[in-house]
Amino acid sequence: MTISRIEDVQFGEELPVFDPDTSLDNVKRFAVAAGWNRPRFTDHEAARAEGLPGALVPGIMSQGFLAAMIHRWAPDAEVQLVDTVFRAPVVVDLQYHINGVVTDIDEEEKLIEIDLTLTNDADETRVFGTAKVLIG
Amino acid sequence: MLDAEDLAAYAATCGELAPRYTQTSHPDYQAPPTIATSLSPGQRMPIGFPKIAGLGMDAGKAVCSMKPIRPGVTITGKSHMHDIYTKTGRSGRMVFFVIRMELFDPQGDQLAWADTSVVIREKPQS
Amino acid sequence: MILDLHAHSIKSDDGRAKVQNYCQWISTRKVPIDGFVLTEHRQFDFESDYSTLAEKFGITILKGAEVETEYGHVLVFGVTLALTRAFDFANIHLPLALVLEASEQHNAVAVPCHPGRVRVGMSAHIDTYGIPEGVRIVETYNGGSRGNEDQIAQKMAEEQGYLGIGGSDAHIVSHIGRCATRFSHDISIEAELTDALRAGDFEAITFRENA
Repeated sequence: MTISRIEDVQFGEELPVFDPDTSLDNVKRFAVAAGWNRPRFTDHEAARAEGLPGALVPGIMSQGFLAAMIHRWAPDAEVQLVDTVFRAPVVVDLQYHINGVVTDIDEEEKLIEIDLTLTNDADETRVFGTAKVLIG
Repeated sequence: MLDAEDLAAYAATCGELAPRYTQTSHPDYQAPPTIATSLSPGQRMPIGFPKIAGLGMDAGKAVCSMKPIRPGVTITGKSHMHDIYTKTGRSGRMVFFVIRMELFDPQGDQLAWADTSVVIREKPQS
Repeated sequence: MILDLHAHSIKSDDGRAKVQNYCQWISTRKVPIDGFVLTEHRQFDFESDYSTLAEKFGITILKGAEVETEYGHVLVFGVTLALTRAFDFANIHLPLALVLEASEQHNAVAVPCHPGRVRVGMSAHIDTYGIPEGVRIVETYNGGSRGNEDQIAQKMAEEQGYLGIGGSDAHIVSHIGRCATRFSHDISIEAELTDALRAGDFEAITFRENA
């Protein structure tokens, strides 16, 4: 079910979980499109040589995942602010899950706030943040 | 100036499904709302800024979208050092630099701002 | 009474939660805690008054701090103006001995937090600096722990005879109350919290599913 009106949003409502595509092929396509085509994002060995655990999903891509998740839930929503804190590397080719939950609703301004958390299979937070979204 | 096809690929690889971000022919075609962070100068420090040894990483990003950013429009970005602070984390001593970039269209209207928080971590002792 | 002893609001540089939304979340989602302590990074928030919110939601809201020492991060409960003058809360190189001693002198209680965590946890520094004198309590459940960090903390607490507290280390609204501390008496002000901590009248608890 998708959301189009703020009246349909409940405080504490959970957005459908989104498992982003962090495969090397997809990250490479993103890196080229974004102009961030650097070995630390597209080459596991090169990234390890830099002391990283493997090729990293760029932070800007993680942020893009979060916005995409919101649009999947509310296709016409206007994402006004996405504020993210990177707690730990998001590594290419590993599986991650994004959870979102509504933590504030301003019906007058038609603005909601969403907590966003990107976790790995062990439920460890890698990225968290908040988004302010205009709905309806 | 942003390329329409690149923007569509950017949106699609992030998992966007909304046609206004993925279909270049859509009448309201625009860049995904987080695009501004990809344009920010990231780890580039102001001219003459002291060089700090260590591994530079993104610590966080905030992006505020004020108006749609569309392909084919000349965009001007202005950046400044917004904040500097230190703390300790799982990776040891860290210095944080927050660089804010503001984007404007040719009429001078602000389209977005994006904060990039760069952390310089002490290199681990070998 | 159950209190989450470790939470951050937008007053912390990496905090993204408004205190009002913590209250609303606890109330709406029926999070099984009676209150929380705001332990902002490297500062004590003298300005904010949450008494109206606390009354409106029937939630206890107390204030503390999280400071940084050579042994990692340390929660400080019962902060007073005099204590903030005893050492610089913003200094990221504080000696743990100073934090413990000054806290003791000012009727506050200092508790190393997430002690099983790499670099910012106490256990990571014991090989270098030895077992610190004066620690009585450590955080044995932390809502932000990864891997076996809590198990390391609990093992260290058991070996050293430390008491354990729990806190969510929440930085966003939906993480509040993931871990907490159960007290056998009601606590409504900071002095009652420090009394209970000194009396050892508490136990760490977790609500994390995979803990």
